[in-house]
Amino acid sequence: MKTLISAAALALALSVNPVKAQAPLPFAPGTGDFNWQSYEALKTTQLNGEQVTVFGPWLGPDQKVVESVLAYFAKATGADVKYVGSDSFEQQILIDAEAGSAPNVSVFPQPGLAADMAKRGFLSPLSTETADWVRTNYAAGQSWVDLGTYANQNGKKELYGFFFKVDVKSLVWYVPENFEDAGYEVPESMEDLKTLTDQIVADGGTPWCIGLGSGGATGWPATDWVEDMMLRTQPAAVYDDWVANRIPFDDPRVVAAIEEFGAFARNNAYVAGGAGTVASTDFRDSPKGLFSSPPQCYMHKQASFIPAFFPEGTSVGEDADFFYFPAYSGKKLGSPVLGAGTVFAITKESKGARALMEFLKSPIAHEVWMAQQGFLTPHKGVNTKLYATDTLRAMGDILLKATTFRFDGSDLMPGGVGAGSFWTGMVDYAGGKPAKQVAQEIQNSWDALK
Amino acid sequence: MDNIAGTKSSLTWAVHISVVILVALWLFPTLGLLVSSFRTSDQIATSGWWNATFPSTQNLTLRTEPPKSQIEREGEFIIEGNLFGSAGSSQIQVYGIASNALGAYQVGETAPLRNGGTITVLANGDYQMKNSEAFKGKRGQRVFVTAETPPKFTLENYRNVLFDPANSEGMAKAFFNTLTVTIPATIIPILVAAFAAYALAWMEFPGRALLIAMIVGLLVVPLQLALIPLLKFHNFVGIGKGYFGVWLAHTGFGLPLAIYLLRNYMVGLPRDIIENAKVDGASDFQIFVKIILPLSFPALASFAIFQFLWTWNDLLVALVFLIDATGETTVMTKQIVELLGTRGGNWEILATSAFVSISVPLLVFFAMQKYLVRGLLAGSVK
Repeated sequence: MKTLISAAALALALSVNPVKAQAPLPFAPGTGDFNWQSYEALKTTQLNGEQVTVFGPWLGPDQKVVESVLAYFAKATGADVKYVGSDSFEQQILIDAEAGSAPNVSVFPQPGLAADMAKRGFLSPLSTETADWVRTNYAAGQSWVDLGTYANQNGKKELYGFFFKVDVKSLVWYVPENFEDAGYEVPESMEDLKTLTDQIVADGGTPWCIGLGSGGATGWPATDWVEDMMLRTQPAAVYDDWVANRIPFDDPRVVAAIEEFGAFARNNAYVAGGAGTVASTDFRDSPKGLFSSPPQCYMHKQASFIPAFFPEGTSVGEDADFFYFPAYSGKKLGSPVLGAGTVFAITKESKGARALMEFLKSPIAHEVWMAQQGFLTPHKGVNTKLYATDTLRAMGDILLKATTFRFDGSDLMPGGVGAGSFWTGMVDYAGGKPAKQVAQEIQNSWDALK
Repeated sequence: MDNIAGTKSSLTWAVHISVVILVALWLFPTLGLLVSSFRTSDQIATSGWWNATFPSTQNLTLRTEPPKSQIEREGEFIIEGNLFGSAGSSQIQVYGIASNALGAYQVGETAPLRNGGTITVLANGDYQMKNSEAFKGKRGQRVFVTAETPPKFTLENYRNVLFDPANSEGMAKAFFNTLTVTIPATIIPILVAAFAAYALAWMEFPGRALLIAMIVGLLVVPLQLALIPLLKFHNFVGIGKGYFGVWLAHTGFGLPLAIYLLRNYMVGLPRDIIENAKVDGASDFQIFVKIILPLSFPALASFAIFQFLWTWNDLLVALVFLIDATGETTVMTKQIVELLGTRGGNWEILATSAFVSISVPLLVFFAMQKYLVRGLLAGSVK
C-alpha cells in the first residue's frame, strides 16, 4: 500500500512538474541587424541558474513576446528567468508585497501605483548611474527620469522605476479605403478634423466610434480624450499643473477641455449609435464599427495597442491605418503627444534583479521586442529599421516629431482620482451631467484624499 | 375546507411557475454560452447567439484577387475568381463597390470601377473584372455584398483551448495542479468537520452552545479579510506559497460551513441509537465511526460537492496562497484568465473555457447528485 501511494505521488509529481523548456530565441544571435555586441556584453555577468522572477500585466500573445525577450537574458547570463502575468496585477502585487512574497522584478502599468509602492517602502532604488544613463540615452531623458523618481517612506526622492515599452495615445484610426470611397482627406489640423467631422455628417455618415466601457475601469478612454484636449488647448505647463492638482480640477481651462471632448462624444450625429451608447459600448468592441458594412463610423481615437481588437485578418497599414490626432493650427501649441508606458522596478533585491535591470538598458532588449510586435521605445541607440512593421515605425516617428510629450495624466494622479473618480466622472459626463459639476465632484474626491 | 383545497392548487401553480422561471433564468445564459463557444469572435461581435441557428442576411466586405493574378486575353486584362474563395451555399442578392453605396447593383449587372475597368458579380460569388489596361495596385478590389448566409459553427475555439500546442501543455499541467489543490482541499475539511460536528452535536461539555454560535458567526466573515494576514503568517512559519498553504487556506475557509452543515445533520439523528450504543459500552470514537459516519453519508457527500465546486472554480485563493512568482503551480482558472489576453475581451475563449472547466464539476455533480438534495435538507426536517 505504501509503495502504491509513493508511486502514485511520484507519478503525480512527475506529471505536475514537467521541466519547463526555456522560451526559444526568435532571432538567432549573430544574425540580422541587431546590436549583438550588447548581447555578448551581457555574458560578463554569470548568474549560474539563479532564479529571477518577473511579474507583469502582460498575458496571452504579449506574454509570449516578453518571455522571448527575457530568454536572451537567460541565455546570456545563465539565469533562470520566470515571467508570470496577471490581469489583476494592481491588486496582486500589493498582496504579495504586503505579505513579503514579492517577485524580484515587477512591471507596473501605471507609474502612480509604483510611486505608491515606493512610498510604502516596497521598492529598491536604482543606482544613480541608471538615472544618468536614462538622461543621456532616452529621447527626452530627463522627463523619463522624473516619471520614475518617487519619494520613499522617509520622503527621500530616488529613482525607482525604469521605463521600458511605450504606447502612443494620440492616434486616430481609420480605414483608408473608406476615406477614398467618400473622397475624404486625412486632416492636418484640429480645425480640419472638425470640418471633416461635419462633412461626414452632411454626407449622411457617422464620423466617430467612441466606447468607454471596460468593466471595472469603465471611463478610462474618455480620460485620454480629455488629456489630449488639454494638451491641444493649453500649454504643457498648465497640463502639468493640472496633473499635480496645482490648479483645481474644476478650473475653467480643464472644464473647457472636457467640453471639447463633449463636442465629439455628446453629439448624437457624431457618434455611432448616438451619444447615449458612448458610456455603455465596450472599448474593445468599439473599433469594430470601422470595419462593418456599411461602416458605422469613419474614425476611432485610441492608443497604439488597439489593432489587437480589430477583426481577424485585418492588415494594419492596408485595411486600417492611423493618423496623428491633430493640434489646433490656430493655437500655436506645436504638436503635443500623449503617451503611456510600463515601469520596471525591483520589488525584491537580488543580484539577478540588478542584472536584469542592466539588461533592459542594452539595445538588444529593445530591438528583440521591436522586431516582433507592439513595442515603441524612446531609446536613441537602437536600430529603428528593426521595427516589425511600417505602422510601428510611423508611430515611432510621431514620438520623435512631438514637440511636447506628456505622460497619461490619469496614470499620474492618485489612484482614487486617476483610476477612480476621473473614470466615473467621465461616464457621468458622457451620460449628460454638466462638465462643471463633474469637474467639481472630481476635485472634491481629490481633496478628500489629501 | 374548500378554501384550503383552493389555496393548495393555486400555490402549486405558483411553485410550478417559479420553478420554470428559475430554471429558465439559469439555463438561458448557459445555453447562450454554449452556443457562443461554437462561434468565432467576429460572429459574437456582430450578432447575438440566438440568431446563430438561422440563415442570416449579412452585409459582407469581400475582396477580389490582387492585380498580380490578372491575365491578358484578347487585348483585355481580366481578373476572375469567387468572392467566397469557392462557390459555397451563400447567395448574393445585391452588391456595391464603395463603402458609401452598398447594394448599388443587382447581381449580374456590370459596375464601373473608380480606377477604370468594370466588374460583374454573380449570385454565387463568381466575379469577373475587365479592363483595357493592366490593373494596378497591391490589393484586390473591395466588394460589398448583401448575402444570405447559412448558419455556421466552428470547433476552432475548443481546438484553441485544448489542443493548441502553445497552451495545451500549460492546460494539462494546470489540470493536474487543480486536482492536486482540489482533492486534499475537499477531504481535509470534511475529516476535521466531521469530528467537530460530532463533538458539537453529541458530546456534553461547558461552552458548547457558545462555540456553535461562534462558528455560525464565522460564516459571515468574508475571506478577503484574512488574505494578507494569513499569507504573512504562512511566510512567517515558513510554508510560503504552495500546495500546503492553499490546502490549509481552503480548509480554514471551508470549515465553518462544513461544521454547521454536518452538526445540524448529526443533531437530527435519532437519540435512541446513540444512547443504546452508550449503554452497550461503546466509546465516543466507536459511536462516531460505527454509527454516525455511515448515517451522515448524504450530508458528507453534499458538503464534498460544495467544497469541490468551490475549490475547483476558485481563482482568488489560488492566486494569493498558491501561485508564486515562478508560475509553476498554475491552476485551470488562472490558465483561462491568461487565455483572455492582456486586455481581455476574447469572449469566444471565455465561453469555451467555461465549458471545458465545467466538465469535471458536472461529472462530480451527476455522480453524487442523489446525495445533494438529501444533504441540503440536512437538519431542516425532523
